[in-house]
Amino acid sequence: MSVWAIRIKVLLLSGIFVSIANWISTVRAGGEVVLPWEAFPALITMFIAIVVGCLVQDLFQKVFHITAPSILFISLVVVLISIPGLSPIAAFVEESFNKVGLLPLCTPILAYAGISIGKDLDAFKKQGVAIVCTALCTFVGTYIGSAIIAEIILRVTGVI
Amino acid sequence: MKDLFKDWRVHVLCLALTVVAELIATQKFTLFGKFGVSLFPMLYALILGILLAIFKAIPKSMMETASPYIGISVMFLTAKVSASIGPNLEAILKAGPALILQEFGNLGTIFFALPVAVFVFKMGRAAVGCSFSISREGSLAIIGDLYGLDSEEGQGVMGGYITGTLLGTLFNGLMASLLCSLGIFHPYSLAMAAGTGSASMMSAALAPVVDAFPEMAEQVEAYAATSQVLSSVDGLYMGLFLAIPITNWLYRIFKGEKKPEKKTAAK
Repeated sequence: MSVWAIRIKVLLLSGIFVSIANWISTVRAGGEVVLPWEAFPALITMFIAIVVGCLVQDLFQKVFHITAPSILFISLVVVLISIPGLSPIAAFVEESFNKVGLLPLCTPILAYAGISIGKDLDAFKKQGVAIVCTALCTFVGTYIGSAIIAEIILRVTGVI
Repeated sequence: MKDLFKDWRVHVLCLALTVVAELIATQKFTLFGKFGVSLFPMLYALILGILLAIFKAIPKSMMETASPYIGISVMFLTAKVSASIGPNLEAILKAGPALILQEFGNLGTIFFALPVAVFVFKMGRAAVGCSFSISREGSLAIIGDLYGLDSEEGQGVMGGYITGTLLGTLFNGLMASLLCSLGIFHPYSLAMAAGTGSASMMSAALAPVVDAFPEMAEQVEAYAATSQVLSSVDGLYMGLFLAIPITNWLYRIFKGEKKPEKKTAAK
């Protein structure tokens, strides 16, 4: 149960942090300001989806002995509640989630990561150049990989 | 119950870093007159944490306490990223075979970047986090959930994220210009390839194609935008079910390992 106690605690806290980050970011961006509590409908919906996702994960583990990452279950719950026509709250999900920016959502996560990463700083520093070069290679691989497949299919299907 | 609030310092510090980072706000500037670079608050939050660690302001116990909290707070990111899937499912039904199949080309990164990481730079597990994708927000969520962002894999994906933020538009713009001028690929193929999951990188990769073929601008832009939407729909699951397993498999082959945990340093 203590896993759940910690999970709920950190979810509630980081949810509040996100609402504050989101508020400041809208103020600083100079557009429409989203006050912290205006983000609550989205964050509470996310919170419920996360809890349901994690419960389903526990269920799969205990009953079916299937271990899968929580990201899978959380994501499936959110997808289900956001498909227009299938979910009665799809419009609400889309509208409320749009009030919370992707970037301010990441800030508290990376703050926790920043606090924590100090213990492995040497490894991080040592690999800096390697990581930068590898990351640039991922752009090349992704881009050319997609271009090759697109080119083949477009030619085979006679589009070009 | 008392134990539950024993770690209040970690959360107060997290809030402080978050607020300071957001107050600094996103900073945009242009490189060489045309390539936009954006610095995001999350980057400052990470760097502030690293600086505090360098100046020994964060005790080791606090670092260890914060570690599991990354995996929990990242669940909000999972929820947000997933919310773009449902409303866009229709786009898959409408897209042609080329648009759908080229999505699998995004896996091309593994076969290109992982060998470089392992053989040229002798990287360890960070190579997996860095090379399975182009390290955008969804990738942070995947690695954060599976390994934790403070793991070696996490360092890889965060390093990749930072690199992409700083150099992504510049690099994609140059790469697309080069490929466009080589004339190997049809502009339609280049347009589809441009949609990889990052809006700013897509614009950068698309611009040279539109410049070179203004008469096809409309079609090219539509292909890129659809490919971009498709990437946002399939990215999470493609990463989870294909990219991560394939990367781990290839990593083990490269390192001659049976299991992913330990590698014996054979020279």
